[in-house]
Amino acid sequence: MNGVRFLTNSRLKLLRSEHICKWSETDKNKDPVPRDYKDWDKFDIEKECAKVDGVVTNNSAPTIINRGLPKVLRKLDTSALTEQERMVLANREKDKGNEAFKTSDFEEAVAYYTRSLSVLPTVAAYNNRAQAEIKLQNWHRALSDCQKVLELEPGNAKGLLRRATVQKHLGNLQMATDDVNAVLHIEPHNEIAKKLLNELNKKMTKRSPEKPAKGKTILIEEIEDEEEEASDGAVESSSQQRVGGESCAAAAAGEERADMGNAQKKPHGRGDGGGARGKGGSADKYTVTPPGQARDKERPAGRGLANGNSTAHQGESTSREGGEQSKVNLDAPAGNLPPQLARLKNEGNHLFKNGQFGDAIGKYSLAIDGYTESGIDSPEDLCILYSNRAACYLKDGNSADCITDCTKSLELQPFSLKPLLRRAMAYDSLERYRKAYVDYKTVLQIDISTQAAHDSVNRITRVLIEQDGPGWRENLPDIPLVPLSAQQHRREEPPSAEEAQARAERAVQDAARKAEARFTVLKSDGNECVKKGRYEDAVGKYNECVKLRSNECTVFTNRALCYVKLERFAEAKQDCDLALALEPENKKAFYRRALANKGLKDYLACSTDLQEVLRLDPSVQEAERELQEVTELLRQSLAAASPGKPRRSVPITEVDDTEESASKGEQDSTTGQNHMDQSKPSAITQPANAYEFGQALSAARSHDDTEACAKLLHLVAPETLPSYISNHLDGHTIAFIMQALDGHLLEKAPSLVYQHLNHLHTAERFSVVLMLLDKDERRQMTQLFEHLSAVESEDFSKNDVQNLANKYI
Amino acid sequence: MSTPLEKPQIIAHIQKSLNYTVFDSKWVPCSAKFVCMGNYPRGTGVLQIYEISHGELQLVKEIEKPKPIKCGTFGATSLQQRHLATGDFDGNLHIWNLEVPDEPVYSVKAHKEIVNCIDGVGGVGIGDGAPEIVTGSRDGTVKVWDSRQKDTPVANMEPVEGDTKRDCWTVAFGHAFNDQDRCVCAGYDNGDIKLFDLRNMALRWETNIRNGVCCVEFDRKDINMNKLVATSLEGKFHVFDMRTQHPTKGFASVSEKAHKSTVWQVRHLPQNRDIFMTTGGAGNLHLWKYEYPGQRSKKDSEEVDMGVAGTVNLLQNVTLSTQPIASLDWSPDKQGLCVCTAFDQSIRVLIVTKLNRV
Repeated sequence: MNGVRFLTNSRLKLLRSEHICKWSETDKNKDPVPRDYKDWDKFDIEKECAKVDGVVTNNSAPTIINRGLPKVLRKLDTSALTEQERMVLANREKDKGNEAFKTSDFEEAVAYYTRSLSVLPTVAAYNNRAQAEIKLQNWHRALSDCQKVLELEPGNAKGLLRRATVQKHLGNLQMATDDVNAVLHIEPHNEIAKKLLNELNKKMTKRSPEKPAKGKTILIEEIEDEEEEASDGAVESSSQQRVGGESCAAAAAGEERADMGNAQKKPHGRGDGGGARGKGGSADKYTVTPPGQARDKERPAGRGLANGNSTAHQGESTSREGGEQSKVNLDAPAGNLPPQLARLKNEGNHLFKNGQFGDAIGKYSLAIDGYTESGIDSPEDLCILYSNRAACYLKDGNSADCITDCTKSLELQPFSLKPLLRRAMAYDSLERYRKAYVDYKTVLQIDISTQAAHDSVNRITRVLIEQDGPGWRENLPDIPLVPLSAQQHRREEPPSAEEAQARAERAVQDAARKAEARFTVLKSDGNECVKKGRYEDAVGKYNECVKLRSNECTVFTNRALCYVKLERFAEAKQDCDLALALEPENKKAFYRRALANKGLKDYLACSTDLQEVLRLDPSVQEAERELQEVTELLRQSLAAASPGKPRRSVPITEVDDTEESASKGEQDSTTGQNHMDQSKPSAITQPANAYEFGQALSAARSHDDTEACAKLLHLVAPETLPSYISNHLDGHTIAFIMQALDGHLLEKAPSLVYQHLNHLHTAERFSVVLMLLDKDERRQMTQLFEHLSAVESEDFSKNDVQNLANKYI
Repeated sequence: MSTPLEKPQIIAHIQKSLNYTVFDSKWVPCSAKFVCMGNYPRGTGVLQIYEISHGELQLVKEIEKPKPIKCGTFGATSLQQRHLATGDFDGNLHIWNLEVPDEPVYSVKAHKEIVNCIDGVGGVGIGDGAPEIVTGSRDGTVKVWDSRQKDTPVANMEPVEGDTKRDCWTVAFGHAFNDQDRCVCAGYDNGDIKLFDLRNMALRWETNIRNGVCCVEFDRKDINMNKLVATSLEGKFHVFDMRTQHPTKGFASVSEKAHKSTVWQVRHLPQNRDIFMTTGGAGNLHLWKYEYPGQRSKKDSEEVDMGVAGTVNLLQNVTLSTQPIASLDWSPDKQGLCVCTAFDQSIRVLIVTKLNRV
């Protein structure tokens, strides 16, 4: 029984008739034996060279590439197979497909998946084929595969995900989103789905504002578009779908934006004009075919009219032209042309559409002649006629005449797009690349979105560089400057105020980035100097840093270190104060201030600082040692009321710029006021910058000297207060300022208080700080506003104060 | 591959000592059985069928034949029949119905001397076209057989009369992706590798790898030829990218020194063509993965396409024996299951794990 099956099965396959393949070892090109020395005397170079050449020419067979699938059967004959055999076979073919897929041979993969499916349709094979089709950008086939998957197994996550991908590329964003959501419902943690959903959302949001912009892109259509009938709509739209899909696939690298663009144009962009532009021509939109009339776009109204009339003339034209041309209205009026000329033109358009370019040229020529005879003044129409004839010439390959016509057309209507583009193509085909380049460039000036021009410019640039070398631009004729009037209505996005603003912002950001970079460099230079012991230089560097950015705590602490090393203790102390103002938690600042105080022989302050350090971080041994020493000194100085023993230098080596790495200590924010500073700033001068203001303010605060603060506030212009305070605002500062304003300034200058308050709330971090105020501070603030509202003044009313108070309380 | 356990592991599942020298073993398609072929000490041939059941090997059938059997294949039989084609020391090609093994289904005196190697295509769902068997022999010829044709081969590849005849050690089918196209690759003791195009009956390509070619195998028999692995006597193996054939340079290849001894055999995983196992003369197995280059072809200086070889990565190696492992066969049905035979007169069933993750 088995034997019978064997025969039936093998009957299909042809038996090989006997063949014999023989080869000979002798005719092989064996490696030549090394020559004897004597042989070189008789060596004939010419002959040997000829021999070598001969060998080369013998081997000029082409490379055999085993790629593609010329003859793989897409369908397997499985009539005689059992179920199990089919399963094995289907699996095997699927495996082959998977392997091909892995090596990116997607066509091969599709072929094997198809074979697998022909044996036994399985979800996996459909799914995999869909993926391969997606890679090949055959969206519609991929879509149908996904549908099959979902028919066989509704809710298959992979199938849904792939359908979503396809829908995304087909532009059906809503459907894609639905599918992705379904996937996420099944597998909430599917990363790919999440990513896809994000993309989709982005596209969706981008798409709505994009719609009008897209509508503006110029459509380079064939001239046939004028004769189209709205009734074609349904048929056309389906064919456009197909065309769109193909062009997607053709957009080789699968540039997504381009794909989306094509897909998107289908639904809209055609809706306007009452179906007048119903005909696609979309296949030609980006291809290098003679474009239609540039002026079409500019006269949608005129075309609407043409369309409206077309129905009226319908019957007439049907009787004349016969059924075949029933849809073509040859008498549609065209611009200002008299009826007979309009008819000639329309006939020409019709012939052009049918590919009878020679006849179309005749019609257009007649129309042009008639135009000159009739003596009407309508350069636009003449321009179109010339332009259309140029298109015919171009199609016919008669580039020279095309150029003449385009030139004439351009004389009538300078900078109209289509004649320019056609002339560029004609020049291009005549290999007059320089002129073509200039024309394409002009086209791009008029409409930057003309893809054909972009492509050609790139290509020609390469050619010209090859011809002329790097100096190719010098040989070019001048590129005419297109007047703005010709550009603007074609621009996709005229540069707006927003753009300018964005640019300015970018410039600011750039500057900030540069400053940042410079700051970092300077700081690290400074640190380097410290390590080498060149403290003077380091101070210089840090000074520059401070100029660039006055809110970096580490710079101050580092500079303080330098000052300590240089024994300029007063400055060191000031820096530490500043650092603490910026960062009240800074342990290094405390430690260094202690050292500075010690240097200044203010042992009391020094020991307070050290205690602070130790309180926060008891593990700092240097601080402990210092403290012992200082306590000793303090006792001596108190007891003897005499200067302590000579200062001891303290080794301080750490210059870390990250505060975390230092093992010093921490402190809290409230301690700032507790320190007894001996050098009371006597005279308050008008601060010139944020730094000085910060110094003065913190000095005043450290003494709890509200009067000094009031003086300071008196000197500061209210408008500049927020910028001086910068981002150093904290609850205590606010409370302190409130105290100063309430206690000292309110009586003298209530309007200044009002002004200050009016500006203070615009300071950075104000709202945050406000939230963190404690009860006492709030009470102070309320008090201030109560007092303020009690004051009568011309500069502000009670209402104003009330409004302001609302911002604070 | 952060930890060693992430890599595929080669686990010796079952080991069994035999009382004869075993040359070859083959899984019976769609079953848990395999056939061992060998040579009894008394000089006769033997076929044994083993079945794996409950982690043990059970001898299902033992068949003694007059001549030692060197090699066998199921490649040219249908899944329903599963007839075994064997080549013996005397140069005979037999096709056996293992159910009724007394008389061969097909028998031919194929060669004058020992049949070293055999391969089949067109059966068990592998390869379109006629089921054909190719044999290579010490007599220097490579012959293609169709079991429907008595006594004479359908194709015969031999050197012209008068030339020295090289010992053909290995043959392999490939390129059988439709009814017409088919290639046979043969390796010889002098290091020659010859690729015969059966469709045009021509020598399509040849090269020499300097050392005797112990084994050649296409990664897949039934696709547009993709890769060919050739192992050699001195421990190297070569992987040829068969997609692009340059007119002078031929196919691009990468070679790897694998074992310190002869590489006896190479077998591609039936479920993944880019993974293959080589068996060594010192009783070790190496598992490899081929990585394709970014571009599989490039233009040479004269703008002619030429192939680009990829790289091979060693996934795992293991030493099982002190004697050469002469044959290995992956189970076509269960990924990672394989049987190997060694000259220490034992057969081993191995399991290779995590192959789906590499």
